Amino acid sequence: MKTIIYTCPYIPAEWIAAHGLHASRIVPDHVDADLSLARAEGVCPYVRSFIGQVMADKEAGGAVLTTVCDQMRRAFDIIVRNGAIPAFLMNVPNTWQTPAAQALYIDELKRLGRFLVQLGGTSPSDEALAEVMLEYDDARTSIRSAREYLSARRFADAIAQNRVCNKLHTLHAEPLVEGVPLALAGGPLMRSDYELFDMVEQLGGRIVLDATETGDRGMCPEFDRARLRKDPLRELARAYFGSIPDASRRPNSDLYEWLERELIGRAVRGIIFRRYLWCDLWHAELGRLKDRIELPVLDIDSAGENHLERPRISNRIRAFLEMLQ
Amino acid sequence: MIDAPERITLEEWDLRYEKLYRAGLPQPAYGGPLSRHVSDGDHRLLKLRYDNSPAALRLWNFLLTEEDRLHRARAAGKKIVGTMKDLGTVPVMAYSFDNMVAFYPDGAWWIPCVMEYSAGLLEIADSLGIDESFCPVRAMLGAFVTEAHFPIPNMLICSVGATCDDFSAIAQRLNGLGHSIFWWEIPHRRCPEQAEATAELPGGLSAPRCQVEFVKSELARVKVALEQLAGAELDEERLSAGIRQANLVRQSLAELRYLAFTAEPCPIPALEMLVAEMLAIHYCSDRGETMVVLEELLDEVKVRVRAGRGVLDADAAKIFWVNPVADLQVMNLLEDCGGRLCGTEYLFTHALDPIPENVPPLEALARAALADPMAGSSIDRAERICSDVCRFGAEAVLISRIPGASHCALEGQVISEVVADTLGIPVLEIEVPPVADSMSPTVRTRLEALAETVRARRRSRQNRWRNG
Ligand code: SF4
Ligand code: SF4
Repeated sequence: MKTIIYTCPYIPAEWIAAHGLHASRIVPDHVDADLSLARAEGVCPYVRSFIGQVMADKEAGGAVLTTVCDQMRRAFDIIVRNGAIPAFLMNVPNTWQTPAAQALYIDELKRLGRFLVQLGGTSPSDEALAEVMLEYDDARTSIRSAREYLSARRFADAIAQNRVCNKLHTLHAEPLVEGVPLALAGGPLMRSDYELFDMVEQLGGRIVLDATETGDRGMCPEFDRARLRKDPLRELARAYFGSIPDASRRPNSDLYEWLERELIGRAVRGIIFRRYLWCDLWHAELGRLKDRIELPVLDIDSAGENHLERPRISNRIRAFLEMLQ
Repeated sequence: MIDAPERITLEEWDLRYEKLYRAGLPQPAYGGPLSRHVSDGDHRLLKLRYDNSPAALRLWNFLLTEEDRLHRARAAGKKIVGTMKDLGTVPVMAYSFDNMVAFYPDGAWWIPCVMEYSAGLLEIADSLGIDESFCPVRAMLGAFVTEAHFPIPNMLICSVGATCDDFSAIAQRLNGLGHSIFWWEIPHRRCPEQAEATAELPGGLSAPRCQVEFVKSELARVKVALEQLAGAELDEERLSAGIRQANLVRQSLAELRYLAFTAEPCPIPALEMLVAEMLAIHYCSDRGETMVVLEELLDEVKVRVRAGRGVLDADAAKIFWVNPVADLQVMNLLEDCGGRLCGTEYLFTHALDPIPENVPPLEALARAALADPMAGSSIDRAERICSDVCRFGAEAVLISRIPGASHCALEGQVISEVVADTLGIPVLEIEVPPVADSMSPTVRTRLEALAETVRARRRSRQNRWRNG
């Protein structure tokens, strides 16, 4: 079975899987950064690593990118010119409130479907799509219900695992550490960034809300089963495009509504705001977050050089936690 | 007998102005000596060199008095629309109403340069969390906070989707500060699929019909919002008339560009051409006067071309310039280093290409908006650059990277590769901050080297030709 790699949360894995292909949401790492790019300065480290991983992948059947941010849109140009595998750029509108934007998203899913068929996939019937959606929905429900008894790291791992395969290993309960409840907010994490969860715990905190793109925030909410049976594609679009809050949406008020709700719901006492250097979309939200949310915010920027950044980050988190305790 | 065309300093312009004034130079209401703008804080003017024609004087005075025009428009009861990011589409709609003017708050991009950082706008942006990792358009935030550079518009309309992250993020920050924004979506322009209905776009591009329909529906939303603001309907006839007017400006500019880029010697400096091109985007808040200013400049250029006179040496290296440059002085520097402008792509070719007049007006604007180089792929943009390089006969391409711009790093690579692969001509990338004084020696060296490379290639071509 061919594997289709992607990273954007607005690409429904169910849609790829329903075409009989394996959907794999890759979590690139700093070490994957494409060194052949003419310039590193000005390029978001995540984009650099994503390009590097796609370029290095000779096995995947295809790569799917979206227009959610400008740099990813440009990454597509690089991949399509120099990469070895077929690539597809899906238009995901930034505006979300008009029926036209919602219809555009559905049209783009259909266009993605045609691309998948060209790669050897089969166009799914409504029943087949609904079945796959139910499987994924069940898997996500088990992850969500495991949140209370998994460490933040394990919870994040489970989400990542679900994106590569919707069949989960059993999620065993584990002893949880006590710590100052924190939220981690921002764009996507890379593989080695997951050590942040452990670092926070070792320093006396606990991430109770993973509001990163690769965490809770980027996870599709539960499907409405009645709507799913009636019109699965429309329900897929509603759940993904209509519900995942993100900095890129215009306006992005839904991101703050979601955050406010979750922060209160999980009694969060401080926010670690994790962003990449040269990511304008998230960087610009830092000031807004501070204006709007009445919680202490620790800004941690990353140039994608984890080994050099680790001591600095650890010191800053320690000081942040001391201030909160 | 015409005055010998030359590039002169601001001081020299003052002396010349006195002479022209005494000789009875006719001037518009916004006329006057250029140096008066320095007392408004436009310190960079002291360091620039200008074309010495009265037409150029008018051009500069027109550009530098836009704020006054906006205040007068407000005082006269006109509605002011701040159009953001689309560069050239929504203003065509706005100027089709009698009681509306549109301008681009994005134009604050130039303030840090023109005022040599003295306006403090970047510090305000910094304080709002928008630091130097963003492009100079962040000055816009400061301009909204100080309200010192333009009146706060009655309505803000911003295109998002296939735009840069810098602008999108900054506009959202502005929105978060309480400025209401009407967002409209411009999708990434893609290639039509096999058997998919296609529409032709300006600039020789094409797009799937459904994308044109989508943008049309977005512009229909914009139209309704504008109608509500104006309290008047914008029917097809009025919009078509607005498009015809826009095309007159574009036609005049096209003629000017062709002569400026191809005539030998170069009839008009790069800096005045940059200003002239910017007029096409939103008419500097007065469409009628834009037409007059451009016509006057065009007449001057035609006279010079007929007389075989120009502002630069005839052997100047012909350089195609990509992206607007954050420091205007670098346009002077190009010429000081032995280069001349031979084609430009300042990220708004869609505001220069004629808008179709053979389709319904909203559809025409949708096609123009989709032709935005920012909306398409970097490869499309590079191909357009290649075709314009050939059209104007440029010998090298200079990509002027914009500090912090989300599109520049990856796009620069694609453009360089495509130009090198397709045309085999030299490509140079430089990064220029809003005030490049401290980098000037480095930039100068690189520009001189580019001009010298071009001349060396010419010599070797001539030698090859002579030696059969
Ligand atoms: S982190 Fe920012 S720049 Fe990087 S891919 Fe995500 S949105 Fe784009
Ligand atoms: S210069 Fe580039 S990054 Fe800056 S606003 Fe213009 S298009 Fe956007």
